[in-house]
Amino acid sequence: MKDCYLGVDIGSISTKGVIIDDENNIIVSDYIWTEGSPTKAATKLVSILKDRLPENCVIKGIGTTGSARKLVGLLLDANIVKNEITAHAVGTLTFYPDVRTILEIGGQDSKIIILENGIITNYAMNTLCAAGTGAFLSSQAKRLGIEINDFGTYALKSKNPTKIAARCTVFAESDLVHKAQVGYLKEDIIAGLCKSVVLNYLNNVAKGKKIKTPIIFQGGVSKNKGVVKYFREVLNEDVIVDENGHLMGAIGIAVLARKNKIGKTYSLNVKNIKFETKARECLGCSNNCELLKVYKNNELIDSFGSKCGKF
Amino acid sequence: MDKVGIPRNIFYYYDKDIVETFLSELKIPYIVSPHTNKKILEDGLKLASDEMCLSFKIYLGHINYLKDKCDYVFVPRMCNLGSDNQMCTNFMSAYDIVNNLFDIKILNYDIDYDSKHFLKKGLFKIANELKCPSGKIRKAYKVALKTYKDKKKREISINEGNLKNNKIKILIVGHPYNVYDDFIGSSIIKYLKQNDVEVIFSDRFDSEITNKLSKKISKELYFKFSKENIGSIIYAKDKIDGVIFLSTFPCAPDSLVTEITERSIDIPNINLIIDDNASFAGLETRLESFLDVLKERKND
Repeated sequence: MKDCYLGVDIGSISTKGVIIDDENNIIVSDYIWTEGSPTKAATKLVSILKDRLPENCVIKGIGTTGSARKLVGLLLDANIVKNEITAHAVGTLTFYPDVRTILEIGGQDSKIIILENGIITNYAMNTLCAAGTGAFLSSQAKRLGIEINDFGTYALKSKNPTKIAARCTVFAESDLVHKAQVGYLKEDIIAGLCKSVVLNYLNNVAKGKKIKTPIIFQGGVSKNKGVVKYFREVLNEDVIVDENGHLMGAIGIAVLARKNKIGKTYSLNVKNIKFETKARECLGCSNNCELLKVYKNNELIDSFGSKCGKF
Repeated sequence: MDKVGIPRNIFYYYDKDIVETFLSELKIPYIVSPHTNKKILEDGLKLASDEMCLSFKIYLGHINYLKDKCDYVFVPRMCNLGSDNQMCTNFMSAYDIVNNLFDIKILNYDIDYDSKHFLKKGLFKIANELKCPSGKIRKAYKVALKTYKDKKKREISINEGNLKNNKIKILIVGHPYNVYDDFIGSSIIKYLKQNDVEVIFSDRFDSEITNKLSKKISKELYFKFSKENIGSIIYAKDKIDGVIFLSTFPCAPDSLVTEITERSIDIPNINLIIDDNASFAGLETRLESFLDVLKERKND
């Protein structure tokens, strides 16, 4: 029998899952859209992975990361639940031990991680503004009537990217509509958007941090060839995009699940678990906390959102 | 006797010991508004104009809470503590804004060193307005000042003592009305303490020292509290593991000063900007990963 570890990264847009063995070989992996329902997506994904898992593999650890890590961690009974920054760094270091800079643009947030000798020395995350993240790009793709998957290919066609004001999503959108109405070519506008994502990222997230090679670009937006091209152009350095870049968070949390294993064996039979969440507003004091209660097979297992800790 | 209401925000965290002791020495009844809750925040949001910072919106919520529970609301005006120690525009305009928005009696004094308006003069003014016997005012002032100074000294010595701790130490750089507010900073401090972090506060150092030290980062700084905040980083830099910049949205001085400081220090740091929609989930991700970074560095 072979010991294996499951890592699940539940992001705002997509849910990624991977099962690795003790030597960090990827046994199975997949990703599906979250579509606003993290527990459903995680259940579906784990079932897919389970069906594809070779029979001689046993799951010895489960980790969850991403914005729905807590909820799905409860669902899967994970032995480790960690934030996506740590998970991404651990995952990337597994394959690129000498990486110095990780650029990451996901569905709703973007981050930069600076490493020195395999240790995170500094990082930054977007603050209030989500301009230039995946969600912004996909809404703009919809507006322009093209598939988000074709976005990069369109951008590469352009010889003369249009300048788009990318300081803010709202301004970018009105600028984009304006440029389209005046008659700029679609591919030039798309290339302009890709370039503005890069500039916005470097100005708002990376601001002033020294970006040293090797540089790795990951997260959903790294699949966009246009953005990759402009990162290389603006930084004037090589930017590595791993074909498993989108899985790095999941791999990282799987590695952490192995390091923190508790000797338990997991079945991955999640399809039949009855998992429910109930939200209500607490009227106990004037804070009116929004409580979220989590039930597994009709049993209350946790609740979030209470400020006073009563629930 | 007339009752005074003190809003628990903005000025409160600077002058509470002076004002509260002064009033109780003179046997003037007063109430302090409760810790910020959702109702106070929502009232503040309704009253404020969009451009005001979250902290000031909350302040207006506190005034609203007090408006029919007392005879006077205490709203000072703080302009400067000397020409190179300016206050932010909210501190200067609070009196006028409150006066325009509410139909209440305001107890006010003006701190403006450039025009020779000092604290002593201000406190004497409000005591006279409340018709206190003039013989008692001088003593009340002395007691208030001593209480304030003693408290400050204690806070500083605790803060300095915590710097010697072996735990992971994080310096919170922010204005006291944000750091200690229940809606803004409390949940962050609580999270850090739960995770075995020693929290060091930027406002609990000798302000004369930190004020001067800020020159090492920039000589062009204008606001008193910005200077003291970043001076504290220079003061503590060899003893702390990380820095958390905490501010509310939108704060012009903080946005500029944090930016300059982040670029010139080589201590791991994060910048947390709180607005009225902030959920703790987003903050938790940032705090948890920041702690992971600091722990790894410490173990290395």
